[in-house]
Amino acid sequence: MAPSKTRTIKNKHAGPKGGSSAPAKGGAKRSTTDGVSKSKSKKPKGPVVSQQVKEKNRALLMKRPKKKTYTAEELGIPTLNMITPIGVEKPKGKKKGKVFVDDKESMTTILSLVQAEKEGHIESKMIKARQMEEIREARKVEAEKKAAEKKAMLEDTKESLRKKRKRKNDGKEDNMKSISLTGTKANKASKKRVSFA
Amino acid sequence: MRPLTEEETQAVFKKLAEYTGASLKNIIAPQEDGDRNVFRLSQNRVYVVRLSMANLATSIARDNLLSLGTCLGKFTKSGKFRIHITALPILAEHARHKLWIRPNGVMPFLYGGNIVKAHVGRFSEDCPEHQGLVVYTMDDVPLGFGVSARSTAESRRLDPTGVVCFRQADCGEYLRDEDTLFQSG
Repeated sequence: MAPSKTRTIKNKHAGPKGGSSAPAKGGAKRSTTDGVSKSKSKKPKGPVVSQQVKEKNRALLMKRPKKKTYTAEELGIPTLNMITPIGVEKPKGKKKGKVFVDDKESMTTILSLVQAEKEGHIESKMIKARQMEEIREARKVEAEKKAAEKKAMLEDTKESLRKKRKRKNDGKEDNMKSISLTGTKANKASKKRVSFA
Repeated sequence: MRPLTEEETQAVFKKLAEYTGASLKNIIAPQEDGDRNVFRLSQNRVYVVRLSMANLATSIARDNLLSLGTCLGKFTKSGKFRIHITALPILAEHARHKLWIRPNGVMPFLYGGNIVKAHVGRFSEDCPEHQGLVVYTMDDVPLGFGVSARSTAESRRLDPTGVVCFRQADCGEYLRDEDTLFQSG
């Protein structure tokens, strides 16, 4: 047997194109669906899509059901006692930006509020100052009274001392007189003596 | 340039009310020609300006607008309001408590010193401690403002060198702080 010539076929679709040649060894007739011709790919896509959906569903069924993740709010976990910095938590439903005060009415309202507050402060300050002043006055009067009493007592004691001295002086004067009369020499006579037994 | 928010307005009025009485409401009252004064914030400085002028000023770019109307003071970075000497005409007009200083005390005050008892010519009655005061010369020329160191009754007993009023601002600042007083930014 002579070796038969082999032909390389790149793929099953790339068969011999010649119509005159006999059909391939396999004899398989090319179906309308396989083939890469572009004109044939322009078929209505309806059934293909349905097929894809089916495939997707199958894929979904094959997949494991995704676990639901809960947020801290859903679980009702108590929040940590920490400081939330300003600007991090923004109130919901509130309008963004600053609210300006430019109309006369609202300015007057703010001004009257501020003034009432200030008046109250000043009033209380003045009342306090007046009370303090009264207390100071009372203390001053009391201190003066005490000082006067002390002075009076001192005067009394002084007087009494003077009187006492006068009385003593009366007695002393006699002595002095006697001394002046007799002289102090009499005392000198009583000299210290040492006696030996 | 923008109007003030509610908090800012409150801060400004609180500071002004330290020095002024009930007549401060005249500042926002409508004027005879139908115009009124409004507050405007430009580069942290607060200005009192006529509404018509403020509307005209909107045509000037923010960077090009140095000043308009009367500058009251400025907001610090922490949100407090600091009153400037430029607000003196308004304070002098509506002052609650006043202090007149003798001619020998004018220069020490204008050089930035506190007011001592020896320099006081006249003093408002019933002025409590730490209350805003507007300082005048004996000829009623406003010189600046400060805060009372003691109440009127206490300051009467004070010795001549005792401080009666702590200086907050004086007209000497126009020269001393010339380069920072109107500087923006």
